[in-house]
Order: sequence, then C-alpha cells, then structure tokens
Amino acid sequence: MNLLDAVLWLPLAGFVLLLLIPRERVRAIRQFALGITTATFLLSLALLVGFDRTSAAFQYETNLPWISSPEIRYHIGIDGISLWLVLLTTLLSPIGVLISWQHIDRRVKEFFALFLAMEFGLIGVFVALDLFLFYVFWEVSLVPMYFLIGVWGHERRIYAAVKFFIYTMTGSVLMLAGIIYLYIRAGTFDYPALIEMMMNGSLMLDRMEQNLLFAGFFAAFAIKVPLFPLHTWLPDAHVEAPTAGSVMLASVMLKMGCYGLLRFCLPMFPAAARGAAPWIVMLAIAGILYGALVAMVQPNMKKLVAYTSVSHLGFVVLGLFTFTELGTNGAVYQMLNHGISTGALFALVGFLYERRHSLEIEDYGGVATPAPVLATMFLITSLASMGLPVLNNFVGEYLVLQGAAQVNFRWAVFAAIGVILAACYMLWMYQRVFYGEARKDFSMRDANLREWAVMSPLIILMVWMGTYTQTFLPPITASSAAILEQTKVNVEFHVERQMPRQELANAR
Amino acid sequence: MPTSVAEEYFPVVLQVLVAMAIAGGMIAASALLGHRVRNPVKDQPYECGIQPEGSPRERFSVKFYLVAMIFILLDIETVFLYPWAVVYRELRLFAFFEMLVFVVLILSGFFYIWKKGALAWSMEEKPREKQ
Amino acid sequence: MPANFVPPSGVEYIRVLPEIILAAVATLIMVLEPLTPAPRKRALGYLALAGFAGALAGAAAAGWRTGPAFSGMLEVDGFATFFRLLVILAGLLVTLVSFPYLRREEAESGEYYALLLYSVAGQTIMVSAADLIVLFIGLEISSIASYVLAGYMRREKLANEAAAKYFLLGSFATAFLLYGIALIYGATGTTRLNGIAQVLSDPRMAPAGILTGTAVALMLVGFAFKISAAPFQVWAPDVYQGAPSPVAAFLAAGPKAAAFAVLLRVFMTAFAPLTGRWLAIMWSLSLLTMIVGNFAALLQTNIKRLLAYSSIAHAGYVLVAVTAHSEEGVQAAMFYLTVYVFMNIGAFAVVAYFSRKGERYVEIEDLAGLGVRQPVLAALFAVILLSLIGVPPTAGFLGKFYIFQAAVKADLLWLTVLGLLNSAVAAYYYLRLIVIMYMKEPGDSLLELPGMAVSTRAALWTSAAAVVVLGLFPALIR
Repeated sequence: MNLLDAVLWLPLAGFVLLLLIPRERVRAIRQFALGITTATFLLSLALLVGFDRTSAAFQYETNLPWISSPEIRYHIGIDGISLWLVLLTTLLSPIGVLISWQHIDRRVKEFFALFLAMEFGLIGVFVALDLFLFYVFWEVSLVPMYFLIGVWGHERRIYAAVKFFIYTMTGSVLMLAGIIYLYIRAGTFDYPALIEMMMNGSLMLDRMEQNLLFAGFFAAFAIKVPLFPLHTWLPDAHVEAPTAGSVMLASVMLKMGCYGLLRFCLPMFPAAARGAAPWIVMLAIAGILYGALVAMVQPNMKKLVAYTSVSHLGFVVLGLFTFTELGTNGAVYQMLNHGISTGALFALVGFLYERRHSLEIEDYGGVATPAPVLATMFLITSLASMGLPVLNNFVGEYLVLQGAAQVNFRWAVFAAIGVILAACYMLWMYQRVFYGEARKDFSMRDANLREWAVMSPLIILMVWMGTYTQTFLPPITASSAAILEQTKVNVEFHVERQMPRQELANAR
Repeated sequence: MPTSVAEEYFPVVLQVLVAMAIAGGMIAASALLGHRVRNPVKDQPYECGIQPEGSPRERFSVKFYLVAMIFILLDIETVFLYPWAVVYRELRLFAFFEMLVFVVLILSGFFYIWKKGALAWSMEEKPREKQ
Repeated sequence: MPANFVPPSGVEYIRVLPEIILAAVATLIMVLEPLTPAPRKRALGYLALAGFAGALAGAAAAGWRTGPAFSGMLEVDGFATFFRLLVILAGLLVTLVSFPYLRREEAESGEYYALLLYSVAGQTIMVSAADLIVLFIGLEISSIASYVLAGYMRREKLANEAAAKYFLLGSFATAFLLYGIALIYGATGTTRLNGIAQVLSDPRMAPAGILTGTAVALMLVGFAFKISAAPFQVWAPDVYQGAPSPVAAFLAAGPKAAAFAVLLRVFMTAFAPLTGRWLAIMWSLSLLTMIVGNFAALLQTNIKRLLAYSSIAHAGYVLVAVTAHSEEGVQAAMFYLTVYVFMNIGAFAVVAYFSRKGERYVEIEDLAGLGVRQPVLAALFAVILLSLIGVPPTAGFLGKFYIFQAAVKADLLWLTVLGLLNSAVAAYYYLRLIVIMYMKEPGDSLLELPGMAVSTRAALWTSAAAVVVLGLFPALIR
C-alpha cells in the first residue's frame, strides 16, 4: 500500500461513502464530492515529491495477486508519462465538480457518485501495469461516462451516449481478443514482464502476429483518440454531454487512447507499428486538417471545440508515429496541453451556456462588454489552444512538428497548416461571441468566485507549461526515451527506410 | 447357409415384396375390374342399414381421457410387479424395500388423483374444485 | 438378473441424496396439496424451499463422497456436483421469485412447487448420468415437468400456446435424441459413456462411420434444442414470452445448464474420439447461435422475448467453449453457466416483479423512469445488464474472458473475434433497457407499482451480488 494506491482508491471510497448520503442533502453531496476530488488531487501532488525525475522505471509500484487462474495481478505503477496523466485527471476532477455545482440540478447524488466512479476508472487506466487490469479500468471508466452523457446531457443525449458506448465497445473487444492472444503466447498479463520478454528475445512475435495484434489494440485506441475517420462519435458525445462530462471526456478520456498507443501499441508491436506508421500519419494529418476545417464552419460552440479536439489529437498521433524523441515528447506534452486548454474551453462554453442556455454562436455577440473577465479568460484559453508562443500548446506542437520534420518534411508542412487554421477558427469564434454589437435582451453577469476557482489553475498552468517546460519535460523525456528504445527491438527494416529521409530533412 | 447380411435378409425382403405386390394387386384389380354405381344412398356412411342421425362428430367428456390415462399409468406400473416377482428370491430384502418405495410412490399418486376428484365421475361428487 | 447381484452400498445412496430429497419432498407436497386449504398453499412453497435447501446440503454431502453409483449408471464426480449445486440453487432462487408472483396472480398451488422440484431432480440426474439411458430418463423427468410449468397459467392464451409448442417441439427433439442413442447403441453395443469412448477409439472395433456420424448428429440435434442453439431455437422466444416469468427464468437457467452439462459430458467423453467430425458442426452452431440471438434481440420490444433471444446468444457463447474442447473450455463453460444462471434469474426476477398482475407491463417502454422511481432496484438491474453485456468488473465479463481465452488457446481465432464483435452488438440492446430505465421520463403506470416482496428482493440481491463478487473473486467457484 503506497501513495499511488491511495490516489487510485480514494475516489472509489468516495463513491461508496457518497451512496450513503441521503439524496435530499444536495449541498452535502456536492461538498463531499469536491472534498474527495480535492483530497485526491493533493495526494497525487505528493506523488511528485518522491518521484525520481530522471528514471524511466515504474515507480510507486504495487504488485499483488488478484486472480490466480489465469494469473492476473493487481500491478500498478507510474512512469514519467503516466505521472502527468494521473495528475491531469486528479486536477480536472475537482474542476469538473465545481463546473457541475449548479449546472447539475437533478439527480445530483447519482451524478457525483458516477463522477467519482469515473475518476477511479480513469486513474486506473493510467496506472495499470497488467493488461487485464488495464482492460478492466478501460471499461470501468466507460460506463459512468455513458450515464453522464445519457442522463444529464442535452437533447440528443441518448443517441450520443449509445453511439459512444458502442463505438468504444467495438474497439475494446478487439483489444480484448489481442490481450487474450498475447496471454496465450506469453503466459502473462504483466506489462513490464512482457516488455522484458520482448527485449531479451524470449518472446518473439512474427510479423503476421504483430500485425494482427497491433490491429486489435490499435482499433481500440484509435477509436478512443479519436483518429480520423473513426472520430464520428466524438462531436456527438461532446456536444450532448453535460459540461463536466465534456471536460472529462476531452481532457482525460481521449488521452486514454493516446496513452494506449504509446504504452502498448508502439513498444509491444514495433515492427507492425513502424510498418503502419506512414498510413497512420496520413490519417493523423487528414484529421488535423479535417478537424480544423470542419471546426471553422460550426455554428455551435461546443461542436467547434469538439472538432478542434480531432485536430489537436491528430498532432498527438503524428508525434507518436514519427518514432523520434522530439515527436514523442511533443505528443505527450500535447496530450497534457490539450487536456488543460480544451478542458478550459469546454468549461468556458459551459459558463456561457449557464448564462444564456444556448450553444449557438449566433445567439451571442458583444459578451465582452458585460463580462470582461470572462472574455479575458476565454481569450487566453483560445490563444493557448491555437498555439501562441509562451502558452502551452505552442511547445507541444512545435516539438511534434520538429519531430515530424526529422522524418519527412512534408508531414510537418501539412500539419503546420493545421496550426494556422486553428488561429482562424478560434479567433473567428472569439470575435463573433465576444465582440460586436451587444444584444439588447442581454443581461450577463461576469465570472463569479466559482468560475474563478475553475479557471485560475488552468490559466496558470497554460502559462507555466508554455514558459517553463523544465518542470514537466524531464520525466517525460526519460520515459519516452525508454519506450523508443523498446520500439527498436526486432525491427530490421526501419533503418534503411528511415535514414535517407532523415538525412534529407536535415539537409533542408 | 447364408454368408452375408444381405443374403441372410434376402428372404425377408422377398416376402415383403410379395406381400406388397399381392395387396397392391388386389386393390388395383378391384379398381380396374369393379363395376361402380354412385347414388346418394351408397354415399352415406355405413350404419348397419339404419338412417344416420345428426353429425358423426361427437365430443366425448374429458373424463374418459382422464380415466383412460390413469388406467394406463396404473396398468404399466402393475407390469413392473411381474419381473420383480421373478427375481424376488435372489434379491431378497433389497427387492422388498425397493418395491415398498415403488408402491408408496404409486399410492401417493393415487391419493393425489383421488383427492383431486379425478376418480369422481359426476360433477356433484367432486370434493373440491381447484381454485 | 445375475445371481451375483450385490445390493447398492450405503455410500451409493448418499451419492443420490439430492435426488432422493428432491423427489421425496415433491411427492410429499403432492400428497399434502389436496389436504391444504387454498389460503395456506404458501406453506407448501416453504416446504419446497426447505426441500431445495436440503438438496443443496445433500448434493454437498454427495460431493464429499464422489464415485460411481448403481453399477456405474451414475457418476458423481466434481463436475456432477458442481452442476447439481447449480441447478438446485437455480430452483431455490426461482422458488423465491415465485412466491409473490403466484400470490399476485392468485395461482398458488402445491403442484407448481412439486413440478419445480421434480424438474430439478431430473436435472440432477442428467448431470450425474454416466449412461445414455439414465441421461435420457433425467432429461425426460426434467422436460415433462417443465412443459407443464410453461403452461401453468392455463387460462392464458399465450401460456397455452407456449406449453403446446414447447411440448410438441420438445418431444420431437427428445425423439431425435433417443434415435441417436439407439444408433450409437447399435454401433457400439453399449450405452455407457466411457464404454462408447472405448469402442470408438479402438481402431479394431471402429463401427461404420456413417452410423456413428448419424448418431452424433441426431443427438446433437436433441441437445441443441434443449440449449436453444440456432437453428433449433425458434421455440424459445414464444415459450419464454408465454410462460409465467418465474418459469421463464427457470427454463433459461436449470434445464439449460443441465443440458449443457450433458452436452459437455457426452461430447467430451463418449464422442471425444470423434472430435474431428463434430468440431466443425459445433463451430458453426456456436457462431450461428450467437448471431441469431444477438441480431434478433435487437428488434425486440418485449422484455421477455428480448431476454429469450439474449439467452440464445449466451448459449452461443457457451458453445464457443464447447468448441474449444479442452479442459479450459469445460471450466470456462462451467463458470459462464453459473454466472448466466444468476444474471438470468436476476433479470427475470425484475420482470416478474415489474410486470404486475396478469403480466401487463412487459414492453421495454414500460420500464421508462424506473431509475427515478426505484433507484435501488434499477441499479441492481443495471448491474445485471452490464454483466450480460460483459463489462468488467462483473462476472459476465470474466466469463466471456475465460471462454474466449479457451477458444484462442484452441486456435479458434476467428470464432473469438466474431464472438467478441457479437458481444459488442449485444451491448446495444441491453443498453436500450438501461437507457429507458434511466434516461426516459417515468410514465404514470409506475405510480401504482407496489413495493418488491422480500423474497424477490432476496433473489435479486443474491443474483446481483453473485455477479459482482464472482467478477472480482472468480476463485470462489473455479
């Protein structure tokens, strides 16, 4: 039992205790949920204290037997990548509770209970080091989100919730088939053990096996990321979800897919991953451009933000499949950036919705006049999201683009167009919502204390991550270097294929 | 001496064929040779020369079926007593207790149908209507 | 009768203790039934409950002293004990669900409980049979009692239809089975399962391939009917819909589990030498069953029919485990069937309670708003439904995992992938129930919903708890 166990199980304990609070005591329920999520966050901050930032090894490990046949272990631990993703989850959870404070006014108890259950699942996904355990958490996080969308969402919530569930479920059963196959082949679900066996050559998957297993895992992760053209569930789910649901979905749940790609697809099936990389990169770039172009024409703010996710996560996938240190670091950084800035965007859109009960851009205009603070918050977040230097997204996108350029300069060029488009759609939306003639029937209060509490940590982080990357990058670099090392095992063809292009890129 | 299965059964097959041929032949012969005159009287069902009255379809009381079924059940159960009696001497006490169980089972079944009124012929005597 | 006859020893009676207890209690109930005045019929139900509890203890005692019984006609081993406990437990849970149901429908009678007990007795005989004749007798005892149970509400049109259909098709299927048994006896000269295996595996005695092939096919038809595998599944939806809900729960639990037990035993022992010949059939049977069950369930609007098709689909999953024909496969099937019994009885318990007098509310739409009006009940139902989908950490997921693990190990990769995709399809129709429970506004009909009776509640809680606990600690029964 160490600190990480406490971070993982505290939300679940909160879930159980919350069920004991009578449903009429709405205020107590909210306060309790906030207390639990905040406590989890503070606990997870303590993880930083004992964390060795230079090591790529898993830390805070717990390894206990759970089910004896087949041998499934409760094996958790974090490295430099999952550390930040856990922190992202625990940070956004109290923020999600605050966002839902007034927004959720019916079935409050169920909402916060499910919210805590979801936090448990999300943290679990990032800390599980046993494939079976990982799958369990993967699905455990799915169910609460399904309810959050389906019960507390907007008009077409049921359609969106079911679509979300079926898409994810289809992907994950394919991953399950892969996990089972891997277990039969290797005799263990233990991730470090599997990697160890692959590194020292005691587990050799031939090319065909790798391709099929990669396809199974990739299907689950690509749907979750979501990679173009598997993204169609995302706009529906984002738009229909309640604000806190959108925030958690965009900020944390999409990272599950990216994390899965990085943690499992690349190091376990390197040959297949490298073989498929050109195609996947093409899809990623298509996603970047498609997401940006579609976002541009959205009349609905939430939908717009949803499509920016498709675009931004294209960068993450692009970075991962460059197989360069810069690209991988950038991808991980971009995962965190997207979590912060898109989470903030959804929260802000939610605040606007609470005021006017509309998500349509055309229902707004001139909001900056009655609500200057809100407008400033929105402006900073938009600038961060479009990748302005000094703010967080710039760092991630820059690293990804540089990594891409090392492999193939054209990739970087096309992806960079996405950055330009981002500036267009974000600023255009900002202009239409906040500037212009203030509507007559308009009464809008400015940000209140709760909204300050939500936004200030996010904005501080945007600046911090954009200016002082040394806080965040070293653990990521250590771990992603280790993963890149693992992707070189058992790959005979990548050298002759990649070198000329790299030289070419350097020459330019 | 027959040497194979086919040879062994050949006479049987032959007999079946002959039987079918004779039966078929007789029906065919009567159909071909017979002289037929159709009139309403001939088309009537044969009732020993008496004019038929009413519909030939008649519904029997369900009691007949019930009694018939009970009879068959008890009758078959009685049949078990014969082989039992034959081997009784060899099986001794075991057979006795086995049969005791068997008879108790039959008697409880009998008790059930009796009390349920399956044996009561007319409605009035039926002790209790179920539900 | 041979002169060297040795009467059965005492331990052999212990080995059939559950059957003795079940049959004795059932007969006692039949005798007491005419003597019990109508308002006090419930007492007979309690007696049945005690009978099931006693039979559980008896089965445990029998499991303590494993071995053959009655000149090798029965084989009481771990496998038999496991399934005996399972079917008796299913009977017990169904009895609990039946109490308030029968009272509500004003149809309490001793016969109902006696028939349940007899049917379970037949199933315990089936699962411990080591001889095809005994197997057949067990199957008939179980089936005939369940035919009557299906038509228990004899004034209901649908119940009549259900019973007639079940009886006619069921007899037809048993005829197939019997014909298969006759052929296999003709081919091998024995009806003992291990004797058949011996003859079939001995190349010098190998009987004509066409004879054994036909026998296997005919017996498979008989079993496929009993487990409602496609294309022999058409009876199931009509029967489940027409039968009283507790009976439907019973039909999908006890007889199905027992039929799977004998299917496993016969095909894994007696027909093991012929594995190469039935494997392809079993493969297609399982795939077809999954597909037919899941896709037909998508279209249902009646909860009972939906659960019937879901039960067909789940039979398909278990058939995947049979197709794996390995030790893992058998264990996976055993685990899955246990979990399924709980899930199924839990789901039907909700239907039995929810449908109200005369089973008027059995459309999916009627569930609207249950999540608001009865949050605890709805939560339990949701847990069971999630387990039916196969979402971790419920036992339904682990059951599927074990099955497909066995399948992968047996190199059934495509069956695994198709089966798993099937379970993704299945998610849709189970989710629809959850959607309607939680995400639709409650209708007026829910206002008159009475509280749930204690015994149904006990059965539901047991089922839901079992689903969760077995999902977390499968070692409890493996």
